[in-house]
Amino acid sequence: MLRSHFLNMLVFAALVSVFFGFLTQNERRERLKVMTILFLSMVVLSLLIAYAMFPFPLTSAR
Amino acid sequence: MNSRGFSALVSCAAAWVVPGAGHFYLGKRRRAGVFFLVVLATFFLGLLNEGRAYVADGQQPLSYLATLTNVATGPVELLSRQATYHRLVYQLPSDENSPEAAAILSAMRSKVKSVTDEYGTTYLLAAGLMNMLLILDAFDIAIGRKS
Repeated sequence: MLRSHFLNMLVFAALVSVFFGFLTQNERRERLKVMTILFLSMVVLSLLIAYAMFPFPLTSAR
Repeated sequence: MNSRGFSALVSCAAAWVVPGAGHFYLGKRRRAGVFFLVVLATFFLGLLNEGRAYVADGQQPLSYLATLTNVATGPVELLSRQATYHRLVYQLPSDENSPEAAAILSAMRSKVKSVTDEYGTTYLLAAGLMNMLLILDAFDIAIGRKS
């Protein structure tokens, strides 16, 4: 069981990137490019969204 | 039915039964191997993270789509249903006070208590969505729309 949120995100992003790389491209070079772009997009955007949410409290104000 | 139509039918059916088998049938063996590993890895990570398979609930229309997505993973999906509900169930009984509905809801709630339940459920849904795309891709290759 993967209890780390970050590790889960990395593994999920890696699996989805490999899947779409092989689904959409036939050339090895293009495939690697798509995989890299997808993986970095998912990870970097997730971290940016996480930081954007950081100032907000976990529970609603009363 | 012409040979392309037959090939499309067989590849789509094979792709549903075993992820990647449609591509294997169409001669795309390397891609088939990768798809097989990726979809099954996603599915089993879902099981290890204590994800839950959805059941169709008349009061929640979106649950039908989620259940269909789970089913799209293929027969291996039965494992997640058995792990979640300890039985093969696809629909929540309309009478929520019945003992069967109570057992299903209780099994579902026990999964929700798990820390990693949401990750696991997402992995299970992602595996189903990937296999749906594989079925459509195998169809496109079989009819000559894609190489």
